[in-house]
Amino acid sequence: MDITQVIREFVVTEYLPDTPPDELEVDYDLFRNGVINSLDLLRLISWLKDHFGIPVDELDIVPENFRTVAAIRDFVDSALPAPAERTLK
Amino acid sequence: MYEWSEEHRELRAEFAHWYETLGEGHLEADRDSGLPPRAWERVRASGLLRLPFHAEWGGRGLDLLSTMYVLEGLGEGCRDGGLCFSICTQIVSAGIPLQRFGSAELKARHLPGICDGGTITAHAITDPNGGSDVLGMGMTAKPDGDDWILDGDKVFVTNGPVADLIVVYALTDASLGPFGLTAFLVERGTEGVLAGADVPKMGLRTSPLGELSLRGCRVPAANVLGRPGMGFAVLDHVMRWEILCSFIVQVGAMQHRLDRCVEHATRRRQFGRPIGSFQMIADQIVDMKIGVETSRRWLYDAAEGFVRGRDVTTDIAIAKVLASEANVKSALSAVQIFGGRGYLTETGLEKDLRDAVGGTIYSGTSEMQRIRIARMLGLKESQT
Repeated sequence: MDITQVIREFVVTEYLPDTPPDELEVDYDLFRNGVINSLDLLRLISWLKDHFGIPVDELDIVPENFRTVAAIRDFVDSALPAPAERTLK
Repeated sequence: MYEWSEEHRELRAEFAHWYETLGEGHLEADRDSGLPPRAWERVRASGLLRLPFHAEWGGRGLDLLSTMYVLEGLGEGCRDGGLCFSICTQIVSAGIPLQRFGSAELKARHLPGICDGGTITAHAITDPNGGSDVLGMGMTAKPDGDDWILDGDKVFVTNGPVADLIVVYALTDASLGPFGLTAFLVERGTEGVLAGADVPKMGLRTSPLGELSLRGCRVPAANVLGRPGMGFAVLDHVMRWEILCSFIVQVGAMQHRLDRCVEHATRRRQFGRPIGSFQMIADQIVDMKIGVETSRRWLYDAAEGFVRGRDVTTDIAIAKVLASEANVKSALSAVQIFGGRGYLTETGLEKDLRDAVGGTIYSGTSEMQRIRIARMLGLKESQT
């Protein structure tokens, strides 16, 4: 499963349980639409650290990294090592 | 368990003679309330305020764990819980976020005064109508040219009545959810800033606590910590430091209380034998020991994970609940073990109990910490 789909499924499962994963557009604004509150954000960051094994520094916690599924994917992409070295859980 | 080096022990010993001095007259200070006269001068002279700040601003450059180790000694040696609380607030409220998120200019301007204690600091988080839900706050900030205009009120501001520099968290865009919050550095003399008087409270009476009102308060955009919208990340970082530092102080206090109870239970005799030989007294003391050890380990372990970049959201919440609740239980047991004398003000144990109760409330209530843990486990909000 590609990274976008993994993230989309997590977001849907955690925060939008009534939405089929494929209906969540990758550019859907998760903040303006009230999908993610502050406790949700903590869990999302924790999941990103655990699942992708990437360090999330406080300085990375800016809206452009978390606003949409696409933004989260880009953030993960930029933090991950080259694809050949990836070990996804 | 974390192993402390000889260097660490020497460092702690270096401050040892200050601890008792800082707590002198603590019973009278508690009765009188407010920051004890001359106490802050002694705090400044001790150098404790410099611990975690870089040398270029006059700090000691210690890492988090070493800072905590010295602060644990403070809790063990200084009987003035309120003063210890104000010291922790001074270290974490503005200095820590400034060092981590502030611009070079802001650091150069304020950190030397924070290290030296000539600048007293506070942070204003809680809304009069809110509490743990920081995004429900009424303090707003609106951009105006190169400035921001802050409007609103804050309550429960530790050091607020005497602070020169306050980090104020304000809502800058409610529609951005967790990114709607921004942290501003506000100087006391700024027009529109009004700090209220010390509010009477149950415990920690030597740590001044007040309200803060901002009316059309103009703050330069350069005073934003991090960037607009990063207030949540700043607050989360500060809260981790606050919990680790202020509760390791309490672990020190619990250790002191445990030693005192062991000594009392060994010396005090009833029915021809030491009261410590009665199982019911021994059980209470054993639980005090378990509380100290568990809290200490969780706090240092969470701190080590935090420094290593591990996700410690749950660990910090667990450590906070454990330490704060163990402290209340330990203080209550000490009053019970000392019996009638424990109930007297002169023993200082009833003050310990009053001080301890605050710990289950500030820095996120036990209830809020449990909600955090539940959410981190994936237990969701009700959808109805």
